[in-house]
Amino acid sequence: MNMDDADMNTALMVDGNAVAGQLVDVFGRDMTMAVARCAACAREAAMGALMAFTHSPGVVLRCPACQAAIARIVETPTSIYIDARGATFLRMTR
Amino acid sequence: MAQPVLEWQEGTVTAIRPETRQTKSFTLALPRWMAHRAGMHYDVRLTAPDGYQTERSYSVASAPERVGTIELTVERIADGEVSPYLHDVIVTGDQIEVRGPIGGYFVWEVALGGPLLLIGGGSGVVPLMAMLRHRAAQRATVPVRILYSSRTPEDVIYRSEFDAFAAGDRGFEAFFTFTRQAPPGWSGYRRRIDAAMLAEVIKPFGTQARVYVCGPTLLVEAVASALVPMGLPIEHIRTERFGPTGV
Repeated sequence: MNMDDADMNTALMVDGNAVAGQLVDVFGRDMTMAVARCAACAREAAMGALMAFTHSPGVVLRCPACQAAIARIVETPTSIYIDARGATFLRMTR
Repeated sequence: MAQPVLEWQEGTVTAIRPETRQTKSFTLALPRWMAHRAGMHYDVRLTAPDGYQTERSYSVASAPERVGTIELTVERIADGEVSPYLHDVIVTGDQIEVRGPIGGYFVWEVALGGPLLLIGGGSGVVPLMAMLRHRAAQRATVPVRILYSSRTPEDVIYRSEFDAFAAGDRGFEAFFTFTRQAPPGWSGYRRRIDAAMLAEVIKPFGTQARVYVCGPTLLVEAVASALVPMGLPIEHIRTERFGPTGV
């Protein structure tokens, strides 16, 4: 492909919907309508609407407004790591 | 809203229907069927004899009104891990491990109202068809337009069903665009979806439209970035991107 790096990243980007199954593994429920508040810009977005980058050893979820990394998820054979320091909170309905 | 626990279950393939050269629809009978909302997907998991597992997500094409079974329309990706197996190996009567329905974000149901503008590229039309089938099953009169981008006429999924909707439903209009080869004598669109095309298709709905866009990421990006300046509320634009497949 004759794309520069930015275009390549855009082409490979999906959204939070695409990792919904992985989020079920982590949280035990559908998280696509759960809301994440971005710690960088305070925008709240449904997790299904976050920008998702999955073509790496882990998953990176980014804010659709400011592109800050909201969460990183890495799975190893024995563990699942979640680094969600980019979220002020995750809010899900009961 | 309390959420059901999502667990893997073995669905039985009860029918396989070729849609186009690259797509087939698989009907699965599920022992623990649960009504989905139109636009949701299921994860399909394959396990190799050595224990290696791989999963992919496929949108449900059928309406939630169809009880007990789901239909998944799957595009065969030549270098894929899951879709060639489904296309080339699976036969009626086989069992497939699935989990769902998943994804409450990219959903439409009659109660959400309209007018509804559905925009799909390639197999991105699949969740949009679930919305259309749901609308038809509910005999809803919500005005709906679909703009569907395909490479060639042979790549149009559900063509006969679109024709049937168009013949019997004054609230439904379909617009096709062909990016590689149009049918002989075609007077419609023959280019990638762009702002001018969107402005024409959305015109009767204006900023009231609820828009659902599903397809390759670059198509979704182009559509979303053209819609926002038209003044649509951002919460009325729902997108689902499925990666780099070019259409």
